[in-house]
Amino acid sequence: MSQVSIFGQREQGQDVRTQNILAVVALSNIVKTSLGPQGLDKMLVDDIGDVTITNDGATILKQLEVTHPAAKVLVELSQIQDREVGDGTTSVVILAAELLKRGNELIKNNIHATSVMAGYRLALKESVKFISSSLSVKTDSLGREALINAAKTSMSSKILNAESDFFAELAVKAMQNVKTVNYQGQAKYPVRAIHILKTHGMSSKESTLVDGYAIQATRSAQGMPTSMTGAKIACVDFNLNKYRLAMGIQVLVQDPEALDKIRQAEMDVCKQRCQKIIASGANVVLCSRGIDDFALKYFVEAGVIAIRRVPKSDLKRIANNTGAKIVVSLADIDGEESYEPECLGTCERVYEKRVGDWEYLFFEGMSQTRAQTIILRGANDFFLDEVERSLHDSLCVIKRVLESNSVVAGGGSVEVALSVYLDDFARTLGSREQLAVAEFSEALQIIPKVLAMNAAKDATELLAKLRVYHNAAQKSDTSDEKKQALKYSGLELTHGKVRNNLTHGVIEPAMSKVKSMKFATEAAITILRIDDMIRLAAPQQQ
Amino acid sequence: MSQAPVYILNKNAKREQGKKAQGANIKAARAVSDIVRTTLGPKSMLKMLLDPMGGIVLTNDGNAILREIDVQHPAAKSMIELARAQDEEVGDGTTSVIILAGEVLSAVESFLEKDIHPTVIVNAYFRALEEIVNITNKIGISIDLEKDDDITKIVKSTIGTKFASKWGSLIVDLAVKAVRTVYRKDKAGNVEIDVKRYAKIEKIPGGVLEDCEVLNGVMFNKDVTHPNMRRVIKNPRVVLLDCPLEYKKGESMTNMEFTKEEDFRKALEMEETEVMRMCEHILRVKPDIVITEKGVSDVAQHFLLKKGNVSCIRRLRKTDNNRVSRVTGATVVNRPEELQESDVGTDCGLFEVKKLGDDYFSFMTECKNPSACSILLRGASKDVLNEIERNLHDAMGVARNVLNNPKLVPGGGALEMELACRLNEMSLKVEGVHQWPYKALASALEVIPRTLAQNCGGDVVRMLTELRSKHSASDGSGFMWGINGNSAKIENMETQNIWDPCSVKLQTYKTAIESACMLLRIDDIVSGIQ
Repeated sequence: MSQVSIFGQREQGQDVRTQNILAVVALSNIVKTSLGPQGLDKMLVDDIGDVTITNDGATILKQLEVTHPAAKVLVELSQIQDREVGDGTTSVVILAAELLKRGNELIKNNIHATSVMAGYRLALKESVKFISSSLSVKTDSLGREALINAAKTSMSSKILNAESDFFAELAVKAMQNVKTVNYQGQAKYPVRAIHILKTHGMSSKESTLVDGYAIQATRSAQGMPTSMTGAKIACVDFNLNKYRLAMGIQVLVQDPEALDKIRQAEMDVCKQRCQKIIASGANVVLCSRGIDDFALKYFVEAGVIAIRRVPKSDLKRIANNTGAKIVVSLADIDGEESYEPECLGTCERVYEKRVGDWEYLFFEGMSQTRAQTIILRGANDFFLDEVERSLHDSLCVIKRVLESNSVVAGGGSVEVALSVYLDDFARTLGSREQLAVAEFSEALQIIPKVLAMNAAKDATELLAKLRVYHNAAQKSDTSDEKKQALKYSGLELTHGKVRNNLTHGVIEPAMSKVKSMKFATEAAITILRIDDMIRLAAPQQQ
Repeated sequence: MSQAPVYILNKNAKREQGKKAQGANIKAARAVSDIVRTTLGPKSMLKMLLDPMGGIVLTNDGNAILREIDVQHPAAKSMIELARAQDEEVGDGTTSVIILAGEVLSAVESFLEKDIHPTVIVNAYFRALEEIVNITNKIGISIDLEKDDDITKIVKSTIGTKFASKWGSLIVDLAVKAVRTVYRKDKAGNVEIDVKRYAKIEKIPGGVLEDCEVLNGVMFNKDVTHPNMRRVIKNPRVVLLDCPLEYKKGESMTNMEFTKEEDFRKALEMEETEVMRMCEHILRVKPDIVITEKGVSDVAQHFLLKKGNVSCIRRLRKTDNNRVSRVTGATVVNRPEELQESDVGTDCGLFEVKKLGDDYFSFMTECKNPSACSILLRGASKDVLNEIERNLHDAMGVARNVLNNPKLVPGGGALEMELACRLNEMSLKVEGVHQWPYKALASALEVIPRTLAQNCGGDVVRMLTELRSKHSASDGSGFMWGINGNSAKIENMETQNIWDPCSVKLQTYKTAIESACMLLRIDDIVSGIQ
C-alpha cells in the first residue's frame, strides 16, 4: 500500500487535539494572573527592546508573538473581543481554554466531537436566554450611578484602580457628552469621538477632560494670535506652496521676459489662494500639507491662525465636528478658483495652550458634535499607554451600558448562576449532550475560581458558598424577594467574602458577558473540530 | 504519547514570573538610583561619561547622566523615562525623582516576601500620595512675584547644588533676568513663559565666567556679508526677510533653449535686474540692516551697500530671526515688494559686530522692552560650558515654575522629613494591612535627607535622629529644619534661605510614586530580545 506523501509533517486524531489543547491552556495560563481586581500586570519587551506594561489581555497576547497555530486562534479571539466589546479580553481566553480542556476529556472518553460541540451550543443558547430573562437588570432603575459603577468595575483590575472614582467620573462625563442621535432616532455613543491625548508629567489626577477637540500642533508663525473666539475654520487639503506644474509639463517660451512672468505667476497663484480663503471669512486655517513661508505672511497680516501639516485623520475629524468641508481644490464649476464660505466650519473658541513641554491647539464648542478630549498626565510613557488602554476599555463598557441599557452583577456572579442553572438543565436532557452541557457548566466556574486564586483566597470554599446562594435563589419562589436577591451574589475579593454585587456596584454590561461567552464557545468549537494538522515544510531555497 | 515539545511562544522569548520578576524590577530600579545617588545636594560629585560617539559629558544633572546610559532591563528603562518626564515638566529635581522612586520600590521588598498583595501596597501608596500633596500645599509659602530678591533667593538654592554655584549668584541672576525678559502676560491674564523659544543660550569658549551676561537684546553667530559694510550702527532700522536676495528659479520645470546669442545675454540681464528690483524695494524703506534667512547674492550685496549703505546678514536661522523680530519690533517679510513702513523694526538701540574668540558675532542690544534675549556664556572649555548651560537650564526651569506657581517649600530635606513624620502619625489611623506600606512610604521619604547627609559627609545617624526629633515636635514648629549641605549641620531653612519651588517637589513625589506603583503591579516579564 503506497502512502500519499506530503512535504512536511502530518499529525492526526487525538495527538493533534491534545497538542492544540496543551498550547491553548499554556496561553491561558499566561494571562490568567491578570484577571480581576487583584490581578497583576505583565511587562513585555519586544525584539527591539520597546517595553509595554499592561493588564489588558488582548494587548498581552498581541505582543507575545505566539507561534502555535491553535494558540493563534485564541489570540485572534481576544482581538475580536477587544474590537467588538472592548473589555473582557482576558476572561474570554480563560473561558475558551477551559471549555477546550473539558471538551478534550470527553472526547478521550469516546464521545464524538460533534456531540460535544452540539452540547456546547445548546448550553450557550440556554445561558444567553437565562441571562436576558433573569440575570440582567435594566439600567433605568439604577441611573447614572450604574454608569459610574460599570466604569469602576472595568478599571478595578487595572492600574487606575486606586484612582477609579476620579477616572470613572471623567469617562462617564465624556461619554455622555458625545451622545448623538442617528436618523433612526437611536442614541449612539461613538467611542471614537473621544480623543485621548497623552502628555507625560504631573500626576494621573491632573488628567483633564476638555470639551472639544485638541491636536498637537502649534501655529505656523509666531506672529499669529494664540486664541480666537467665534472661529471660522477652513480645512484645506492642498499645498499652499508656490504653484508648480505637474511633472512632465514643459512650458516653452519664446521671450525670456516671459520666464520671469512665470515665476511671478507661481507666487501670485498661491497668494490669490490664500487671499480667497481669507476673504471667505476664515480665521483658522488647517492645512494637511505644507504652507510656504511667504504665504504665512498673508495669514499673519489678516490675524488668522494657520497650521500646516495637520494629520489627515485629525483634519477629517475636525471637519466632521465643526461642519467644515475639506477642500481638495479651489476650482469651481466655472473653471475659476473660489473658496465658498459654506465650506467653513464654526467653533466657539480655538486657542493654543502649552501642556507639559508641548503645544496643543484646542477647539472648544464645535458646532456639530461635541467631541471630547481627555488629556492624560502621568509619570512616564509606559504608564500613559496603559492608562489609555484601561480608559478605552472603560469607555467601551460605558457605551455598552448606555446602548444596551442592561447590566449584570460582576465578580463571578453570572458565571456561577449559569453554572447552577445549567447543571439542573443538563439533568433534563436525555441525550449525549447532557455530558457536554454539564462540562460547560463546570467550565464556567473557572472565572470565579481564577478571581479568587489571584486574590490568594480559598477558591473552593468561596465557590461552594456562591453556588449555595445561587441555588437558593433559583429554587426559591419568585415572590420571596430576599432569596431572589441572592442571584446577584458575587465575590468580594479584598476580604474574601460573598456579597450582593449589584448593590455594591460591581456591574458589567450584560451584552459584553453574552458576547464573550459566544466568542469563547465559537473558538472552542473551532479548535475542537480539528483532527488533522498538516504543516508544510518551507520550500527549499535554491 | 511521546512527541516533540509544543512551542507556543517564540523560541527566543525569555520569561520571568512572579516573585522573580518583582525582585528583578526592584533590583533594576535600585541599581539606577544608585548611579545618581552621589549627585544629590550641594556637596555632590560630578559624573564623567563617555558617550558612544567618543565625546565626554561632565555633569551632575540626573537627566543628563541617565540619558547617556544604555540600559538593558525594561524596568530600568522605565526609571530613566522618569527623569526625562521630570526634566520636561519642571526642569529640576531629576536626581531626587530617581532616588525617591528607587527607595519607594525597595521599601516594599519585605512586604512582598511577607506575601502582602501588590495591589494592597499600590492602594496604600496612592492614598499616601494624596496626603503628601495636601500637606505640601499646606506648608507652601506664597511669595511676592514683584520682588526680584525673593525669586533670586529660591533660584539660588536650587543652583546651590550645581557646579555653577562656585560663582555665587552669577548664574542665578542670569536665569532670573532671562525669565523676566520673556515673561509675558496677555489680556486674558494667561502667563506665557517660553524659555525654549525666546531665551537662547550661546556658548562661546574662551574668556572668563564673569563675562557671562543676559543681553538686552539678541546675538547670533553671523557677520555682515561684505567687508565694507558698517559694523556699528546706532538706532538701526531693521528689515527682516525670509526670502533669498538672489535670482531664484521658479518651481515649475523650466528649460531654456536659446536660438540667438542675444537672448542669452538678455536672460542673464534679466536675472540681474530682478535682483536689483528686489533691492530697490528694500531701499525704499531706508533700512540700515537687512537680515534674511536665505542667501544674498554678490550683486545684491554690492547694490545695497552702494545705494543705501546697508549692512546685510544672510542665512540666519528661523528661530533666531523670530527672536530678532521680537526685540526689534520688525515683521518678517517674504516679498520685498510688499515691504511697508510698519514692517521696519526700530526698537534696537545698537547693532555691532564683535569678534569673540575666533568668530564674529552680531549683537543687537540696548533694545526698548525686549521680549526675547540671548544669554551669553563664556568659560574655559566646552565641557564646562555645557555643564553651565545645563545648570542654567535648570535654573530657568525653576524661575519659570516660581513665576507660574509662586509657592515655596523649605529645601534641604526639611519637607521630606516633615512629610515622613506627618505620614507616620497618620498611618496609625489607617485600618488593615494598608497600614504597613503607608508607613513604609513615610520612611522611604527620609531617603532624601539621608542621602544629603551622606553626600555632605556628616554623621548620618545622628543628623537624621536629630532632624526627626525636631520635626516630630508636637507643636509643629520644627517644619523648617533641614540639613544644610554646606556646613553638614541641622539648621533652620528659613533663616538659611534654602528653598525649593512647590511645583518641583510635588511633581517629584507624583512621578516617583506613580511609576513605582506601575512597576509593582508587574508579575510577568516576557522579553523577545534575541
